[in-house]
Amino acid sequence: MTTIASRHPRAVRAASPLWRGLADGAGIVLAYVPFGTALGAALARTGLPPGLSWSSSPLLFGGAAQLVAVQLLAGGAPAVVVVAASLVVNARLLLYSASLAPYARGWPRRWRWAGAYLLVDPVYALAMGRFAGADDDGEPRGRLRYYLAAGATMWVGWSVLTGAGVVLGGLLPAWLPLGLAAPLTFLVLLLPMLAGRAAYAAALVGGVVALLAAGLPLGLGLLCGAGAGVVAGVVAEGRHA
Amino acid sequence: MRELAVLVVIGLGTYLMRVSFLATAGAGPPRRLARFLPHLGPAVLAAITVPTLVAPRGHVAVDETLPALVAALGCWLLWRCTGRLPVALFGGLGLWWFGLGMFAVLTV
Repeated sequence: MTTIASRHPRAVRAASPLWRGLADGAGIVLAYVPFGTALGAALARTGLPPGLSWSSSPLLFGGAAQLVAVQLLAGGAPAVVVVAASLVVNARLLLYSASLAPYARGWPRRWRWAGAYLLVDPVYALAMGRFAGADDDGEPRGRLRYYLAAGATMWVGWSVLTGAGVVLGGLLPAWLPLGLAAPLTFLVLLLPMLAGRAAYAAALVGGVVALLAAGLPLGLGLLCGAGAGVVAGVVAEGRHA
Repeated sequence: MRELAVLVVIGLGTYLMRVSFLATAGAGPPRRLARFLPHLGPAVLAAITVPTLVAPRGHVAVDETLPALVAALGCWLLWRCTGRLPVALFGGLGLWWFGLGMFAVLTV
């Protein structure tokens, strides 16, 4: 029988939730290099002071809303419109919070409040992939360590990448477009979630409806697609239950 | 200063959405809501991804859409084969650049 004590110390350390969180977070940061630098360069091109546009990274910590907010601000939009549009784009985080909450039940209250700041698409995708997977033992402390490690790694990585994009954006060669970096990054977050017919139905309907509703203002197309996809997932699950 | 204040307000509003259900995790989400939650991730991420892949510049055009869809397909295949997200992403980007280059050569 293999016990914890009989394993090699490095193997134990490598398997710990903290190290897995750091490693998975680092992998996502690596995958975010094109998107992060492209977004930083786009922020720098809006005309706002570079430091101010970069401050959206620690303040908002979410690429899509950052771009919307900084572009609208640079365009002279009223503050109410900028706030409303950015919050609509970020409304999915409300649902992420509800989705993650059952797994955070055993976490100390202060860490639930602190950890919420780190909740963003890649961290949510990593956490849900692990907590719902075979590697998870259901132990709250391990889940918390994994979540905080992955989230903190992503936060540091995102701040550095967008900062580099703001500073170096003008040096990116024109023949090296990065416009598809964002959707491909979200695609690689989506792929591990496609397990079963209900997930495929949710993704297919969500994507098609969002495409058809892409002309709606204030990010409403995204919300329409998300709503339709969730309903499709529930229906598909009911049919095959 | 006005711009910074707006960003701070958005950051606070965003944090309130992030913390809303996590703060009361002990109670758990309402039963009706709980049915919908497992499908949220795939639905939201697909709603973000698909429109930009099909219409990279806001409209469907063969020389823009086809390389993007080929890149997405390559991304998916690389992920299925390797299970490594960075490999899938950089492979997809490489395919996209190749596709754009091919269209540029063919239209010259």
